[in-house]
Amino acid sequence: MNKLLSLSEAITTFVHDGDSLCIGGCTTNRKPYALVREIIRQGRKNLYLHGAASGGDADMLIGADCCIAYINSYCANSGYSNVSRRYRKYVEEGKLLLEDYSLDIHAALYHGAAMGFPFIAVKHMLGSDLIDKVGISEEVRSQHPKLPPKKYTIGANPFDPGDILCYIPVPSIDVALIHVQKAAPDGTCRIEGAVFNDLDMALGARHVIISCEEIVTEEEIRREPGLNQIACIVPDAIVLTPYGAHPSQVCNYYDYDRDYLRYYDTVGKEDALYQEYLEEWAIEPKDHYEYLEKLGLRRLFALNVRKGLNFAVPLNFGEER
Amino acid sequence: MEYTNKEMQVIMIARQIQNGQRVIVGTGLPLVGASLAKITYAPNCCLLVESGMIDGNPLESPTSVADLRFAHKASTLGETFRYFGLQNNMLRKKSIDLGFLGGAQVDPYGNLNSTSLGDYHHPSTRFSGSGGANGIATYVDTILMMRHQKRRFVKKVDYLTSPGWIDGPDGRAKKGLPSDRGPRAVITDLGLMRFDHKTKRMYLAEYFPGVTPGIIMENTGFEIDVSRSVEAKPPEKESLELLRREVDPNRIYIGKV
Repeated sequence: MNKLLSLSEAITTFVHDGDSLCIGGCTTNRKPYALVREIIRQGRKNLYLHGAASGGDADMLIGADCCIAYINSYCANSGYSNVSRRYRKYVEEGKLLLEDYSLDIHAALYHGAAMGFPFIAVKHMLGSDLIDKVGISEEVRSQHPKLPPKKYTIGANPFDPGDILCYIPVPSIDVALIHVQKAAPDGTCRIEGAVFNDLDMALGARHVIISCEEIVTEEEIRREPGLNQIACIVPDAIVLTPYGAHPSQVCNYYDYDRDYLRYYDTVGKEDALYQEYLEEWAIEPKDHYEYLEKLGLRRLFALNVRKGLNFAVPLNFGEER
Repeated sequence: MEYTNKEMQVIMIARQIQNGQRVIVGTGLPLVGASLAKITYAPNCCLLVESGMIDGNPLESPTSVADLRFAHKASTLGETFRYFGLQNNMLRKKSIDLGFLGGAQVDPYGNLNSTSLGDYHHPSTRFSGSGGANGIATYVDTILMMRHQKRRFVKKVDYLTSPGWIDGPDGRAKKGLPSDRGPRAVITDLGLMRFDHKTKRMYLAEYFPGVTPGIIMENTGFEIDVSRSVEAKPPEKESLELLRREVDPNRIYIGKV
């Protein structure tokens, strides 16, 4: 079965207003930005965004008014924005339904989703305000069927009644967005380097959209099946997006774009600047290739990692450092 | 030899790490301190980050816990949930020795805030959120990294993101938390604080050369016992040279002289 779709077809078909969404990668590493920009380009609304280690991906969807709720454990382009600026502004101004967990909880929840479990039972959050302060009340949740009815509940361990546990419902995720290095048309995917929560997200979500650096043949990707993570039967759409994680980094391909991340931090400081940024970089380019053309070859090639180091070395076209 | 308080802070971080230990370092100063420890007296310490990369040996400073730079010559890059399993299994076996955490506010019992200032529902300042800090504070002995300012050392944190000793010796047990682990020290740009064995309240253990207990008291927003404090040993010349030459040659983390 051939799962190749264009970027716009994939988002039109599988992401709808009011869907719950999770996004693979980690802060500034392997974030599916091309998919995020297409969601903004198509103007999706009222998304329920589930985080983990989010960065500019979540910040852009929030700043473009695509989200009604955000379930957070971390939101920053570490090293470039200590706190993502649009996320911060929307939370401070109360423009977003927000719930807080921690990265451990999110990892366990996605694993629970991948396993089909209804809840997780953990010691995390006990003794902290993650318990004492609830972001989205049960009353508000009752009006949002995409959200679990409660943040958590506390109870005794049924097998050791003296032991206290925190029970957290596993969310129901409509769509996972994941960027990989290599995918075959049948859906088989290979992630190189750290996998983060991506495999659990793919297994737990109802639909999975994969963007990839390269399409490879089934014969090629199945030569070493042990190196593949996502099975052919899991994704719904495979979208070819070279440099599709820009401005984040992709193992064995390219580094994060420091100048762009600094620029993104600057435009996040003011509403008008940010709207201009969205227009210029997400909405006006009619597809991913126009976005790349806007960046230019010189800039993209300068991001390519040096083999053996896995980070970019300042490149002066032939002149060694 | 002249040095800055930031450099002294890094040296102090390095001194807390013993050879062979497994340490959660995150990014920034703890990673710089741990890298220094690793090239001096703790060559076999194993550095971990909460994205799941284990025993990385970065050639260039990573800017995030997910940075490919950390993966250089790492042992494994397992899925994130499996890494958290290592932390959670601390109830059964000691798989991790120490974790470094930072925050915007800390109270006398080492409870940390990295979520928000003001009312949680209408924050005056919102931060990134827990990240992996809550789980690290739940299961692992920690060292807290703070800038030493009155507005950061507060009687009560606005939001308790990562539990310390809660409110005293039985604070953690009452809440259902593992009671035999928690914050061991706070390292700032002025000195080293520890927690009293009996009361679990923070006290001043060492103040940096050039700093006085009085300065520490002035910059702490709660009463702090300084009666046991001593002046910290200045940096060893060799460590300082290695820090400047090998670990942070561009002085990104240790600041300009």
